[in-house]
Amino acid sequence: MIAAAWICLLAPLGATLVITLAGMRISGRTAGWIATTSTSVSFVAAVVAFAKLLSENPEDRSHLSTAWTWLGTDQYHFGLSILLDPLSVFMMLVVSGVGSLIVAYSIGYMDGENEERRYFAYMAFFVFSMLMLVQAGNLLLLLVGWGLVGLSSYLLIGFHQERPSAIAAAKKAFIMNAVGDATMALALFLLILHTGSLDFGSLIAISSSSSLVINLVALGLLGGAVTKSAQVPLHTWLPDAMEGPTPVSALIHAATMVTAGVYLIARTHNVFELAPNILDLAAGLGAVTLLIAGLIALVQTDIKRVIAYSTMSQIGYMFVGVGVGAYSNGMYHLLTHAFFKALLFLAAGLLIHALAGEQDMRKMGGMRVLMPRTYWLFFVGGLALVGIPPFAGFFSKDPILAAALAHGTFGAILWVAGVVGTFLTGLYTFRMLFMVFWGEPSAYAREHHHVGPGTWSREGPLVMFVPVVVLGVLSVVGGWIQVADFWTPVSNFLEVSAPPLVTASGTQEAISSIFAVAFGLVGIGVAWAIYGARRAEVPSAPGVQSALEHKLWFDWLYDRAFYRPSVWLARALYRWFEQPVILGSLREIAAGAKESGSLVSRLQTGLLRVYALAVASGLAVLVVVFISVR
Amino acid sequence: MNDWIATILIFLPVAGALACFVFPVGGNAVASFAVLVSLVEVGFWIDAVTRFDFAHGLQFEQQASWFSDLNVSYHVGMFGFSLWLVGLTVVVMAAAMAYAFLAGRERPRAYYGLMLLLTGAVVGVFTAQDLLLFYVMFEAMLIPLYVLLGVWGGAGRLGATFKFVAYTMAGSLLMLVSIIALGLSQGTFDLAQSGTSSSNWIFLGFAAAFAVKAPLFPFHGWLPDAYREASPEVSAVLSGIVSKAAVYGFLRIAIAKFPGPTEDFRTLFLVLAAVGLVYGSLLAFRAPDVRGVIAYSSLAQMGLITLGLFATNDLGFNGAVLQMVNHGLISATLFLLAGAIERRTATGEFLLLGGMARGRPALATLLMTTGVIALAVPGSSAFAGEFLVLAGVFQQYWLYAVAGAVAIVLAAMYMLRLISGVLHQDVGSAVSDAARDLVPAELAILVPLVACLLALSVWPAGISEHSFPSTTSPSTSAPARFTPPRTPAVPHGSMSTEGGISP
Amino acid sequence: MLGPDITWYLAISAILFSIGVLGVLLRRSPLIVLLSLEIMLNGGNLALIAFSRQTGEGTGQVFAIAVMAVAASEVVVGLGLIVAMSRRRLPLDVDRLRSLRG
Repeated sequence: MIAAAWICLLAPLGATLVITLAGMRISGRTAGWIATTSTSVSFVAAVVAFAKLLSENPEDRSHLSTAWTWLGTDQYHFGLSILLDPLSVFMMLVVSGVGSLIVAYSIGYMDGENEERRYFAYMAFFVFSMLMLVQAGNLLLLLVGWGLVGLSSYLLIGFHQERPSAIAAAKKAFIMNAVGDATMALALFLLILHTGSLDFGSLIAISSSSSLVINLVALGLLGGAVTKSAQVPLHTWLPDAMEGPTPVSALIHAATMVTAGVYLIARTHNVFELAPNILDLAAGLGAVTLLIAGLIALVQTDIKRVIAYSTMSQIGYMFVGVGVGAYSNGMYHLLTHAFFKALLFLAAGLLIHALAGEQDMRKMGGMRVLMPRTYWLFFVGGLALVGIPPFAGFFSKDPILAAALAHGTFGAILWVAGVVGTFLTGLYTFRMLFMVFWGEPSAYAREHHHVGPGTWSREGPLVMFVPVVVLGVLSVVGGWIQVADFWTPVSNFLEVSAPPLVTASGTQEAISSIFAVAFGLVGIGVAWAIYGARRAEVPSAPGVQSALEHKLWFDWLYDRAFYRPSVWLARALYRWFEQPVILGSLREIAAGAKESGSLVSRLQTGLLRVYALAVASGLAVLVVVFISVR
Repeated sequence: MNDWIATILIFLPVAGALACFVFPVGGNAVASFAVLVSLVEVGFWIDAVTRFDFAHGLQFEQQASWFSDLNVSYHVGMFGFSLWLVGLTVVVMAAAMAYAFLAGRERPRAYYGLMLLLTGAVVGVFTAQDLLLFYVMFEAMLIPLYVLLGVWGGAGRLGATFKFVAYTMAGSLLMLVSIIALGLSQGTFDLAQSGTSSSNWIFLGFAAAFAVKAPLFPFHGWLPDAYREASPEVSAVLSGIVSKAAVYGFLRIAIAKFPGPTEDFRTLFLVLAAVGLVYGSLLAFRAPDVRGVIAYSSLAQMGLITLGLFATNDLGFNGAVLQMVNHGLISATLFLLAGAIERRTATGEFLLLGGMARGRPALATLLMTTGVIALAVPGSSAFAGEFLVLAGVFQQYWLYAVAGAVAIVLAAMYMLRLISGVLHQDVGSAVSDAARDLVPAELAILVPLVACLLALSVWPAGISEHSFPSTTSPSTSAPARFTPPRTPAVPHGSMSTEGGISP
Repeated sequence: MLGPDITWYLAISAILFSIGVLGVLLRRSPLIVLLSLEIMLNGGNLALIAFSRQTGEGTGQVFAIAVMAVAASEVVVGLGLIVAMSRRRLPLDVDRLRSLRG
């Protein structure tokens, strides 16, 4: 069983090495199949591990396997170890499963790109990193995975190296995530100092320390989670990250990597439970994010950016879930979200692929006529996102709201935010859907719509279309594996790793569902009235619109508060310190030496008798000294 | 007691150097001879690794009396950490000489003779167990560098050499005075036998000498010019291994022999190191050329290593040794890559570079790999080193680790700027189609260096667990055991008193 | 012990030495400076021999012989220089010979 977990982890790494070393000797398509095969192997291995785990007693479902000591000293040892427990196997299934589908889709999407091989090497490396993150057997390895997914995200966002905007977005993503890595590292230093270990057990052992220490550890970990999951206030990198190829956005910036923050909180829930204020902070940030992101999504015109903001918003729900202690509900939403968000991204990718790379929704329109299958898939994804039964989002989002309702007064505030968020979700999702698919096909769409020769239909090549269909099916049936209060296998499975802090009653579940669905439908209705049937004008509020279009000035603020000061500081230090003091000091020293030299040289008169007199008088002084000392 | 391996490692390249000076042979012949000698040297080092017993301290000792009335002797031997630094030296020197062979250098007999001499001297610094021998080797290391920088450097080499000489001479004289004072006060110059001293002045003399040579902020006035004007392989040697000789001095002499003064002046050095770390990172961010970035990042890394050493605990020492090896390999690789770029475009300015990734996969892959390791992406060997160092210094005072964390973010900024400035975006005006991808010969030099880094990334504990003899295992004899004074970690829950933040 | 007390020898030695010193310091001609140097050396020699005779050891006499040898060679070099200077028509005045030129 543990061998299966190792295979799951190492197969994509092997693919990366093979593709890198083979270089020009293999075609781009071969590289794509190598990557797909490796991720599929991972998925099969994950399924095997899952099946084995299921056959055991729930209490025994935790296995730690250490290959060797990765980093160690005389007193401290941090192993290269993987942990196989319900939480990690759940994430392994999501990552490798969705990953395989998206890598396969990429074979069609990236066909004809110049550097496909590089793309697939990066993709496989990402899957490896993500598996490393979720399988990590201690916090140091978790941080390693955390950093490596950031690296592969950087590489893939900046895949189009010649595009300055892509490179800038890639750098921004990496540097902001480096901030999160740094706060996590500081939390780890505190753990080492106070418990001497980085095993997950140290999160329990820390309870004997002062509450300040515990809070700081939790805050450091939360800093990492918030950055990686693009929650307010460290979210600004995610919309820019849409510069990457669409499958990258689907895999990294929707289905897996950005949800790692949720996984992190669930994994380290022990320390968060010791620091309830920080846990509340996580839930609060989630609620703020889901509202802000939902609002900004309303005014975006780039289809991928709308979905990106929607991702932020949905992760906000997950943060609310884990923040109130309903870990398995948050994780379950992570699963269904991976399905329907990947579906939306990949369907959008079909559109973009067919429209020669165009992402502006205002240039689309009437795509239902041109790509009917894509429309239906997108429609399914949209309904799942809004949370309309019987689609997947309904079964996973509403239990989060119910758990919030069961969390007291603070929970009630979260619940209100969540329900309002549902309205926003309905509005922006169907605004996008109606703008893109309804109405008459735009001139641009008619002119540019083509899917290339030899493809299976007008929608795109089969290798792209099949994964989308699979995800479409999963977005429907994925929700049926758990119906809160009646049938909860997922929660039962996960609770061994992270037992919940709250349990919602049946009434709370019912109230939440009714309100959420109702608000979602209202949102869809409003969207239909404005964008679908065009019966109402777009409400005009220039101030609000401008604020939303400027993304509430977060980017501007960070630019002024951090980037520019550091550039200024670097320049100022060079100009006012390095140049004059450090580099100039040498010139001064040289001048001083010359000066003193010319002073001393004046003693050299050349008069022999002066020298002789000096010698004689020196001798005389010595004689006097000797005599007087004796 | 009498193992020839250390002596062979020192004097094989010296003999090679003499052969280069004496026999009048052609340029290619002398270059291949020098590379061959350096590879044999690597072979001897591998032999040493296989025979080294990591549970114990000083090994491969050899001793012969030199000035018996002063107890000065030719005494060489290796600790675990010396072994790794010797390995770094022989590997980087082999790569540097091979690079010089490829690039072609004028007056090859003198050039390779000096390079080989330098190899022997640096190995001597890392293996010397006698203060005077250490000094002799340290000076023997500097003299070839003066010549290599002053004769084979770029256009501004004379100014750079003058600065380098002025700074290092001042440092060396201080060190000589300190060595004489320490040796006479101890009655022996033998490092393994002499006890500890509590003299602040002698300690500061040593510390100043090493701080200038490393360099530590604010003694780095010679650094930018020297690293820019030297030929790439000499820069690689200078920042990769010669700077390590200085921090090695901190570890082997300043800290090991002066536990009291180390304690007293710890804050001074930690602050200087932390300031240097952030300062170097900031200046690297504004440097207009490739070598400037690497130069100032070296300054930052020296600060980091010093942080680890002056944390004086298990984590800090091991992290510092690991980071010494890492940084040696990284900066050597980066300087050689910078040389390869300069050979193709005749410039290192970011304004004129860019877009080199397209059509040059080998260059792009190597620069990207080395760059991300250099910015300490989690999982890389540099991350492992920095993590240990910062975890160690965190136990002294949390603020140093916070400065380190800030520097990690800054490192990401300057390294990505370097990578993008060379590889990405629009093709720079100095980059023509004639600028080809790396040729196989260059790959043969660079790939082994990067492979070392990747191997270390897979198993950083290979160094961090094998640098100091285990404190629990029995040791042969007390002097042969290297036990730097360690400060115990702050006990649980007392952070508010030690850390200065109150709950 | 024959002859006068050692004090007399030392006094003469000191007088000789002082004459030499004054000569070196006051005279301008290099020839006279050399002469004065010789007088200083001989003052020293006298003291050495006097001490040697008093202690009954030969060491002082050996030293005196060594000093004589040195003085002789010094005179050879010095006179050679003076001859060379006068051939080049340089002024034979130590106050005017102030700077060396290669």
